[in-house]
Amino acid sequence: MTTILETKDLSKTYGEVKAVDHVTLAVGEGALFGLLGPNGSGKTTMIRMLTGQTRPTGGTATVLGLDVVQNPVKVREKVGIIPEQETPPSFLTAMEYLDFVGTIRNIPDVTKRADWWFDFLDFGDKKDVLCKDLSRGTRQKLMFAQAFIHEPALALIDEPLINFDPIMQDVVKEYLSGYVKSGRTIFISTHILEVAEEICSGFAILHKGKLLHTGPVAELTGRNEHLSDFFLSLVRKDRHA
Amino acid sequence: MLDLFIGMMKEEWRIHSTMFGSFSFAMFPVMIFGIAFMGSFLLPLMRTALPSGNLALVIHANFLLLGFMVGAFGLLAGEVMNRRFGQASLLSYSARSLPLSERFIFLNFVIKDTVYYFFLWVFPFGFGYIAASPFTGVTLLQALLLLLTLTLSFLFGLCVIFFLSAVYARSKRALWLLVLVLGAGWGTLVVVTGMNPALLFPPLLLYSSFTLVNLLVSCAILIVLFGASIMLFSPEYSGPAKKFTNAFAPLVRNLSFFPHPPLAAKDMIDMYRSGSVVGQTLFSFLIPLGVIWFFLSLLGRYLPPHGLLFMFAILTGVIGSTMYTWVTMFDTFGPYACLPVAVSTLIESKITSFSLLQLVPAVFIAVVATLSGELLYLIPAAVLCLAVSFYSVAVTVWLTGLSPSVLVYDVKVLFTYIVVVGIALTILTGLAFASPDYAFVSVILILPAWLVVRKAKVKWDAVDTAGF
Repeated sequence: MTTILETKDLSKTYGEVKAVDHVTLAVGEGALFGLLGPNGSGKTTMIRMLTGQTRPTGGTATVLGLDVVQNPVKVREKVGIIPEQETPPSFLTAMEYLDFVGTIRNIPDVTKRADWWFDFLDFGDKKDVLCKDLSRGTRQKLMFAQAFIHEPALALIDEPLINFDPIMQDVVKEYLSGYVKSGRTIFISTHILEVAEEICSGFAILHKGKLLHTGPVAELTGRNEHLSDFFLSLVRKDRHA
Repeated sequence: MLDLFIGMMKEEWRIHSTMFGSFSFAMFPVMIFGIAFMGSFLLPLMRTALPSGNLALVIHANFLLLGFMVGAFGLLAGEVMNRRFGQASLLSYSARSLPLSERFIFLNFVIKDTVYYFFLWVFPFGFGYIAASPFTGVTLLQALLLLLTLTLSFLFGLCVIFFLSAVYARSKRALWLLVLVLGAGWGTLVVVTGMNPALLFPPLLLYSSFTLVNLLVSCAILIVLFGASIMLFSPEYSGPAKKFTNAFAPLVRNLSFFPHPPLAAKDMIDMYRSGSVVGQTLFSFLIPLGVIWFFLSLLGRYLPPHGLLFMFAILTGVIGSTMYTWVTMFDTFGPYACLPVAVSTLIESKITSFSLLQLVPAVFIAVVATLSGELLYLIPAAVLCLAVSFYSVAVTVWLTGLSPSVLVYDVKVLFTYIVVVGIALTILTGLAFASPDYAFVSVILILPAWLVVRKAKVKWDAVDTAGF
């Protein structure tokens, strides 16, 4: 299986704080990989480094064969990204924003694709509303659409379901599972363990910037162990170590 | 009120100090103090060229301009709770969860900003002059009076623009009517009495002859303007969301000759829909420069022929360069970070949008040259103005990247800006005063500007894009 994303001793320190501490990780093609960890464990920093938004202070990271430090823009050209906090620009409408993304990404049939996303995520009635006037959930739908509109080989998503209602969560989970079946890869960061257990094929657990464990979810299923129990015991053990 | 006010003050301090260090931020007023302190020793030299009354006029005009530049709170009012501060999770937004009215929160926000600017700029300058007074022969009372009148000048600028922008936020028609009435009154005064209205500026009157009545009148005018502005504040409630047809796609086609059409189109839409293009032009450009013209024109007889026009062209160029903050105020790099866009690309696009806005200073200088009967010097004055603006913006980009309005308070940044821009401006002023034709020399500035922008792009690409 081709490795799509790989880190070796990847580290990021802010002064004295080690946000990510020598993390070595590999994600293969077609995986739906979950990066798990409590708040402040370094998940968002990992995603920011993998998408070239933050420079590592140590180690290396390659995404789709590209070094993220050497080619941050090229990496962002090839992947789709949903950041945890960023919102679309205030004074563009939802349609204009997708048009904006499509023009920057050189997507020829962007209107057709945008319309598909408006239908699929059920927010076509908001396409002409300014982004600043959209609800959080609708902004998340828009960010979801912009990340997948060019059907990237790899999508990196920080907390994919956090602002969605239960119905939309179901739609999105189904979409993500179907997306990887076509050979593409998804890397999500979440602390909602139930979601990770339900949809992920592989996972890694981060705590205080350190990688505690990485492996396939099937390994737990085989032991009849829930991901949440495994996660809690591992993190608690590390906390007391 | 005090708790919220103190909280906002701490927040403001931390925003700046976490970005470039407490020391760099704390040194900012120290530098202003130093400039005033050392500048005081040059007073005898300056007085040989300019009588002290006129020197006071220039200093008061500067602080009036500072007030003008920071006073457009009315433009924030509609959006203050939503766009700029909401996304940054500042207290002005989060305090809404407390049992406090939005007007009260806004009042705190405005007072906090006023106090902040006072301690960053006005107080250190006045205090520097006071500290130097034992060595310069200026009496302590005179020095204290200057601090008082400079404070009033700053507050007049701030309150006038605050009031006008608050009227604008309520009703554009009312604003135009008000501007028309004020303009007519101003014009009538000039025509009927032949007097420059700048001479009636209360802080100047107070400085030249202090009376308690004058002081009370000045304070009363400020209180009325400030109070009315606060009363006019109307928070924007999310009513039925307005819908817009797709303006982006046609705009991208029309701007296809630009280096980055989608980014330029987005900037145009941001400025148009936010109302900034009209609001900022009026409150941060036309009104301040229009008023300052009257102050500078009092210096006419001490300047060489045509010197006033060229001096004003340089000032317009410097103020014109601040239009870069208009195009960078809508977004951090954050929303672009999920797209294949480098910081340098965004900088290029912001400079392109800025270049389009330079039509405003160019037209403005043309109007000033025409009205002052110096149409003959329109072209050298316009060239000088635009060269200064592009050079100053290049230095701004190099020093502050995409965050000019925040990083300017880093003492290292401001110091470098003053030195690098100041030297060029001093040389250009001398040349333009010597001969109007020498104003064309300013074109040379385009070369260092281009080199500096090139350097800036490399510099800011290498910095983490964590948004401000």
